[in-house]
Amino acid sequence: MLETKNLGRTFTSDSVKYEVLKDISLQIAKGESVAIVGKSGSGKSTLMHILACLDEPTNGTVAFEGRDYGSLSERERDKLRNRKFGFVFQQFFLNGRDTVFDNIVLPMRIRGLDESRIREAATGALVSVGLDDKAMKRAKDLSGGEKQRVCIARALVGDPDVIFADEPTGNLDSKTSGTIEDLILTLNREKGITVVVVTHDEDLASRCGRTINLKDGRIVANDTQGEHGEAGE
Amino acid sequence: MKIWDLAKTANRNLFRAKLRTFLTVMAIFVGAFTLCMTNGIGDGLKAYVETQVKSIEGNRILFVRKKLPAELEDQMQSKGPVEYKAATKDEEGNTIDPNTMMVTVDQMDSLRKRLPGVRSITPAFPVRSEYITMEGARKYQVGLGMLSEGIEQKLEAGSMFDGTNQVILPIHLARAFDEKVENLVGKTVILAYKFGEEGELKDRKLKIVGIATKGMIANLNGFVDAATAREIYKEQMSEAPNYNMFQSFTVQLERQDDGLLKSTKDKLDKMGFVALSIADIEKRTYDAIGILQVGLNLFALVALLAASFGIINTLVIAVLERTKEIGLQKALGMGRFRVFLLFALESILIGFWGALLGIVSAVAVGTIANTVLAKTYFESFEGFNLFAFRPLALGAVMLLVCLVAFLAGVMPAVRASRLNPIEALRYE
Repeated sequence: MLETKNLGRTFTSDSVKYEVLKDISLQIAKGESVAIVGKSGSGKSTLMHILACLDEPTNGTVAFEGRDYGSLSERERDKLRNRKFGFVFQQFFLNGRDTVFDNIVLPMRIRGLDESRIREAATGALVSVGLDDKAMKRAKDLSGGEKQRVCIARALVGDPDVIFADEPTGNLDSKTSGTIEDLILTLNREKGITVVVVTHDEDLASRCGRTINLKDGRIVANDTQGEHGEAGE
Repeated sequence: MKIWDLAKTANRNLFRAKLRTFLTVMAIFVGAFTLCMTNGIGDGLKAYVETQVKSIEGNRILFVRKKLPAELEDQMQSKGPVEYKAATKDEEGNTIDPNTMMVTVDQMDSLRKRLPGVRSITPAFPVRSEYITMEGARKYQVGLGMLSEGIEQKLEAGSMFDGTNQVILPIHLARAFDEKVENLVGKTVILAYKFGEEGELKDRKLKIVGIATKGMIANLNGFVDAATAREIYKEQMSEAPNYNMFQSFTVQLERQDDGLLKSTKDKLDKMGFVALSIADIEKRTYDAIGILQVGLNLFALVALLAASFGIINTLVIAVLERTKEIGLQKALGMGRFRVFLLFALESILIGFWGALLGIVSAVAVGTIANTVLAKTYFESFEGFNLFAFRPLALGAVMLLVCLVAFLAGVMPAVRASRLNPIEALRYE
């Protein structure tokens, strides 16, 4: 479903080149849950950005369902992210003064859907994350865990094929982290949504179907661990 | 994103930073308000002049004077000293002195013979009066003008001249004689004027035929018929060296005919005269007011320009403040153009609210000012509204302000649209 070939990414800062990703070739199948792990500076966020069509590789190719990102126009790339991908970020990026409802329907509004369809999708997404009673609350009045659930609802609302999560538990305590992990992995299992998580959290990584370990921009391990991570619960 | 959703989002974003938006809207409000007022003054003057100029009618009349030497020689550009030229004689033996603006009666007679379709030429006889009075009434000063045949002054009561020794009184003066001005028509007033070298006073009885409607000219001035004006002029000036020499005269055509009016004007032009119809004078006045209006509006536009920098400032700050939000929107698939449009709409909305406030306030203030001024300063200018607001002009102000606001928003909006989503999300 997601595929990269000989992917490389170089950043230039003050005419010094930093090779952040080197020769990355990987495939992620539909319905997989993949954790990208590694120390900070290992390039894991950059890899996720490239997979999510937010950044472009310097060398190599990346494709979703066989469509090479390099062949897409900016408009097609915007559309791809809007329709096929969902995003969850460590810092939430919620609009505190807006209601939960207004926050989660943003991808639908960007898509330009009718209000009735937006409401329908929003209700479904809120039920999925267990926040259907808080739709009209302001986002700033929620707890951290609730905020992250709103983010997941926002990622979910557009019925995506892939959810990209960048350190989704990074700002949460361990108990809340557990809830969020459960939620993400349940979506993966029950809705068949492919999940790509960038994380430091070993617990979260171990519960994913596969861990891709990066070091200095290269893949050093790419292990499938089955469902054994769930056994810990 | 649908345009309606964008507009709603834009409006909501504006109201998130209430104070900042309010201050920027106020700046635009000042500009829009000023523009409405300055333009309103111009339109008010135009409307007033229209009613005033229309108080005199006559479409077979030309007002004529000699061309200035500069006009004659087309020296307006060179601005050099004017050369002296000796007087010459025309084909009828009349002396034509190019060094004076004065025209003699003989020259006028000769002109009438050479211009087909002209019934008469009447010099503008100056009348210098001392006072006017009625039996049992006080003496009042009065300016007296002369209305040539063919000129119609709008009247409150009575009719135009049908003989000699007749007078049309300005309404203010008439009211001093009798509150019911229509009662005065047909009555006799006594006009006193100086004559002869000694300057002793002479009385002349004049019959009131009409009462002039209030207006710029007829406000204080009365009018006598041309024949009476001529007689008084003769009595006052026959000993003077420049007797029977006039600075201007009117030409009365035999009939109303635009073609004849035009051809007579052209002929007079070739003979070295400037001839203006009442329509020409109206146009000149309108042009003058138009220039005044443009000048005033320029001041308002400067205010608007200053305000547009306020918009730029507000939006630049908004873009910085909302960098992460823009990053998120772009990450979630909002296109460059939509981001641009979102900020452009915010900019236009600031303009819209400012213009709306400005227009509503201008109409309110203008209307109140008109009422107050009409009761105080402009009492003698009946029907004069300092401010006139045409819906079309107000609509144009709205459009212009929105356009200026949009242009002010372009730079910040382009900045927002060019943000890289990843960098924007990381922005601190």
